[in-house]
Amino acid sequence: MNKLSPADLDKMSKAPSDKPKDWIKVGLSSCGIAAGADEVFNFFVEEVKKRNLQIEIKKCGCAGMCYAEPLVEVNVEGLPSVIYGSVNKDIATKILEKHVISKMLVNDYIFEVLI
Amino acid sequence: MYTKVILVKDTDLKREDKTREFYTRLLDYLREASLHEQIQVVRVADIGVYDQGLVVKVLPDKVTYINVQDTDVKKIVDAILSEGKVIEDLVFKPKAKQHRIVLRNCGKIDPESIDDYIASGGYLALKKVLGELGQLKLIDEIKLSGIRGRGGAGYPTWMKWNFAREMNSAEKFVICNADEGDPGAYMDRSVLEGDPHSVIEGLIIAAFAIGASKGYFYIRAEYPLAVERIEKAIKQAYDYGLLGSGILGSSFNLDIDIRLGAGAFVCGEETALISSIEGKRGTPHPRPPYPSVKGLWGKPTVINNVETLANIPVIIAKGGKWFAQIGTQTSKGTKVFAVTGKVKNSGLVEIAMGATLREIVMDICGGTLSGKPIKAVQTGGPSGGVIPEELLDTPVDYENLQKLGSIMGSGGMIVMDDDDCMVDIPKFYLGFCVEESCGKCAPCRIGGFQMLGYLKKISEGRGIPEDLGQLRRIAQAMQKASLCGLGQTASNPVLSTLKYFEDEYNEHILNKRCPAGKCSSLITYTIIEDKCKRCGICFNNCPVKAISGSKEEGYSIAQDKCIKCGQCFDVCKFKAINKK
Amino acid sequence: MAKIIKARINGILLRVEEGTTILEAAKRVQIKIPTLCKHPDLPASASCGICIVKNKGSHKMLRSCCTPLDEGMDIITHDPEIVEIRRTVIELILSNHPNDCLKCARNNQCELQKLTADFGIKDESFPQYLRDLPIDTSTSAVDLDPKKCILCGRCVHVCQELQDVWALSFLERGMKTRISPAGDIQLADSPCVKCGQCSAHCPTGAFVEQDHTAKVWKGLMDPDKYCVVQIAPAVRVSIGEAFGYVGKNFTKKLYALLRRLGFHAVFDTSFAADVTIMEEASEFEERLLHGNRPLPLITSCCPSWVDFMEKFYPDMIEHFSSCKSPHEILGVLSKTYYAEKNKIDPAKIFMVSIMPCTSKKYEITRNAEMSASGFQDIDTVLCTRELVRMIKQAGIDFDTLPDEECDSILGEYAGAGVIFGSTGGVMEAALRTAHYFVTGKELKNVEFVSVRGLKGVKETEIEVDGKKLKIAIAHGLGNVEHILNKVREAKLNNKEMPYHFIEVMACPGGCVGGGGQPYMVTDELRIKRAQALYQDDDQKQIRCSHQNPYIKRLYKEFLGKPLSEKSEKLLHVHYKARPVYIK
Repeated sequence: MNKLSPADLDKMSKAPSDKPKDWIKVGLSSCGIAAGADEVFNFFVEEVKKRNLQIEIKKCGCAGMCYAEPLVEVNVEGLPSVIYGSVNKDIATKILEKHVISKMLVNDYIFEVLI
Repeated sequence: MYTKVILVKDTDLKREDKTREFYTRLLDYLREASLHEQIQVVRVADIGVYDQGLVVKVLPDKVTYINVQDTDVKKIVDAILSEGKVIEDLVFKPKAKQHRIVLRNCGKIDPESIDDYIASGGYLALKKVLGELGQLKLIDEIKLSGIRGRGGAGYPTWMKWNFAREMNSAEKFVICNADEGDPGAYMDRSVLEGDPHSVIEGLIIAAFAIGASKGYFYIRAEYPLAVERIEKAIKQAYDYGLLGSGILGSSFNLDIDIRLGAGAFVCGEETALISSIEGKRGTPHPRPPYPSVKGLWGKPTVINNVETLANIPVIIAKGGKWFAQIGTQTSKGTKVFAVTGKVKNSGLVEIAMGATLREIVMDICGGTLSGKPIKAVQTGGPSGGVIPEELLDTPVDYENLQKLGSIMGSGGMIVMDDDDCMVDIPKFYLGFCVEESCGKCAPCRIGGFQMLGYLKKISEGRGIPEDLGQLRRIAQAMQKASLCGLGQTASNPVLSTLKYFEDEYNEHILNKRCPAGKCSSLITYTIIEDKCKRCGICFNNCPVKAISGSKEEGYSIAQDKCIKCGQCFDVCKFKAINKK
Repeated sequence: MAKIIKARINGILLRVEEGTTILEAAKRVQIKIPTLCKHPDLPASASCGICIVKNKGSHKMLRSCCTPLDEGMDIITHDPEIVEIRRTVIELILSNHPNDCLKCARNNQCELQKLTADFGIKDESFPQYLRDLPIDTSTSAVDLDPKKCILCGRCVHVCQELQDVWALSFLERGMKTRISPAGDIQLADSPCVKCGQCSAHCPTGAFVEQDHTAKVWKGLMDPDKYCVVQIAPAVRVSIGEAFGYVGKNFTKKLYALLRRLGFHAVFDTSFAADVTIMEEASEFEERLLHGNRPLPLITSCCPSWVDFMEKFYPDMIEHFSSCKSPHEILGVLSKTYYAEKNKIDPAKIFMVSIMPCTSKKYEITRNAEMSASGFQDIDTVLCTRELVRMIKQAGIDFDTLPDEECDSILGEYAGAGVIFGSTGGVMEAALRTAHYFVTGKELKNVEFVSVRGLKGVKETEIEVDGKKLKIAIAHGLGNVEHILNKVREAKLNNKEMPYHFIEVMACPGGCVGGGGQPYMVTDELRIKRAQALYQDDDQKQIRCSHQNPYIKRLYKEFLGKPLSEKSEKLLHVHYKARPVYIK
């Protein structure tokens, strides 16, 4: 129970993130979950642990591209942040092995639609 | 280390191999030029541009080239290497762009983390309201923004707030209407699930504006995840002192509770919603008195839709003037649409008011999935109308859609192609309204039912020309004599299809034919002997054994047994089944 | 003072108080806007959609029943488009309503039928759709035929808000919507108190009194039966409405009429009301002076009120007068006292009560105490509306009927007996006699004006022998809560009781506004009916029950004294808590 003061709020909104730069976000709204995003999310969590990768797995809401769920946004240093669509475990594996480890974007699954 | 990425996608549906071909060509070129370790080439599933031939997009520059030819490879690579040079005759200048205000955080922040929301500037608007603005300036700012209710009717938000503020009452209430019920519409669900704090912040600001100390979220029980996320978010806000007493050290107090709706469409109507929260049967009541004067438990109450509330923090943070620059003369800001139906990219689209339907459907959503031409677009859910293809260049705002016989509604947008029947579509929507009519008022209860009867009759080939007159007559009575919005607008899908597609009705009535091949009573399936290879797959797949014959003698369909399921049509590899 | 609104209706400029609906305002300029759901007793439910009007300059139409006239409005109530839409709505309603008007209890008195005729609707414009729903006849007082219901919601509002009974509610939705007790149970198993206000307010034949005229005809035809009849106070001042007379008292015509129908003896419930007063005033005296049972004393002559109390306020049983309702008293006296005196076999007596009330139909068999004579004390109850039908069936020309007197020894009544038909009347009658019982002195002025009138809850103080008696009167069961909660609170906290004497009548206005009375009652009409009763009282030589020589004779010859053993046996009852829902 730490009630915020207006000053606290300012500080929190300006605070630089000390979190690791690399992250994977999985869209976990109803549309994503319906398409299997839960499974993908858990897969990432387990695999990252298993492979001891330095990347944070995060949740987020629906980005609006519901036709391509489950959506996974990947941000790895040195590469542009991209969104993969229709991700399943196979693609998730490719994302980890190719994108995260080898720093190569994975062919054929990127949805670069938000203009 | 790569410095650039080239995304490649051929956007012409008919040339599937073209992407791969160009990808290889580009890769080869880069290898030859020994640039393949600086520039990465990636094939993508969707590049956000449609029907523009081969498209490449350069990252992180975010430059898109369209209708790229094989001969352009060198030019593009040179441009990339030049840092800053752009090939003017190939560069893509988007006509339509999403403008994300409501969806600003959706898909970006963790909806279950208040820290994430605060880190992206959340609750600073509330701080500003409590610390600097005060009630009057706040309402002025909302007035300046010109924002109108996003629930459908488009009533100016500041006026609602001001009426309630002016009421002298010890108790006032704010309610977030999250009883989203239009078939195919789920904008509110997405916002509640993806960015719950933005709605809560909006609701707190609304409560402050009118002087309410109690607020409710009215969420339909079919949205369990939204309920869960709002519950969590409310708890977090309490923990941080953003709800409860003495919010952010001020003297302002607010408690928020959640009430679950049982999924009755009519409870989205504000007087019915109030009854429902009070524990009564959810039926609409006459207005006036309006809820801002006499609402929940008889006290002044402001009811705002999820999307409206999600806009509020941004308006406060960036100013009403900034917001008013977006949109059209009468409709300010953006609108989120849930685009579904026969569209390639179904999902949520947030555009500035004034974008055309064609831009939304073609440029942003990529046209139809089937590649067939669009026949019509339906907006506004069961209360809206069907807008034919030739009117898709209409800029979207409250007034324009109404002029076309539709409404903005809460933001459902359903795309239809030639396979959609303009008798079947209104039949579906009217069926929904008949099912969801609360039954209180005669024009809606009986009128909708009778209209549905005529539509069924027409779709089954029993229609007579006079039925159209009857439909129009009942529709007029429903529009003028129904008590609430549900009844007043329930006939819109019928009236708009009658207006734009009367020929199709007449085809059903006079020629007993459904041009879209949708109305099963009017379809007959027959086997075209010339094309039939006697493979027997139709025979094996008919669920009611209406197909008889053998590989030797050939096959035929017994019309009296056929249930018109279309199985034979779908499974036949030789297009030997005739559907008409 | 309320703000005055200036506006136009059909071009006529008018000024009304702020808040006046367009429908009401239109009446002031001689325009009647049709409606099927709005009833003067009730707030607008806005369900039928027929009262729509236009405001010039707006494409929307307004429902005049619930839209207040606003400054500067320019209302059009009738134009071809409005009339056409009204016609369509009526036709839609008809498509969902049976076409059996000729065989309907409301034939010629149905608001939907009248509107259909007014609009000259001859054809079936839309296909008929009816649901096969059973008729609920479980209460033996009021029948519900949901097929005939147009869902105007009047009955629900009456039952929930006016009467606070909550027996009726809307079930399901859309075309499946219907009126029923919650949980889709039978009315008899519901909280229903049989007041019949639903039937008095229903615009169609969905709620009608259970018709018992055939039973009466059968009794009258039976040569072995000795048919006697009594008429309640409120009937005499409302029956004329069926023949074009408003606010007129037809007591003596009714006596003549009932004889011509074939009754052997014609009695008057007002006489029994005098008996009630003797008993109730004695009870009050005992409680006030001797304190053997607690105050306040609460009146019990309304069977709906008794039913309501047993279901919702069983903690008040000890406060209830144990005295029967007047018609039951007359019933038992006719089969004992009268039978003895005239040497008639009580088994042969066929007793009919003509009542303004549907609840009495249920009361006559509610428990064994209703057969105190050894036979069912009342054989059949007809409500005013049923009697009107019998008059017409018998071909009697009501207008030219002569006056006749009623039969002794159960007929002559004091003024006190006849005002029983109005709210406050029982209290006033009881006070007249109680004053005498308590002080031994006759009142100089017998009129207690402060207990009269249509205010929902009337609270007043009356001085008797230097002691201030606190009085409360409620009519319309929705007004009871206010009074009884005060009593409850005082009981719980052992505080001084807020009242000494409470009168309750279930129906708004009392029995003059009873559930079995002629249709389309308004407060205006309730006042006129009540005035006619007070006029009757005013013109009586004898105004107090205890002064009525026939009452004196009854006690002398038969009962002994009030609250005697015989009185207790014949005229008093016991109450018990009942479940609100059965099953």
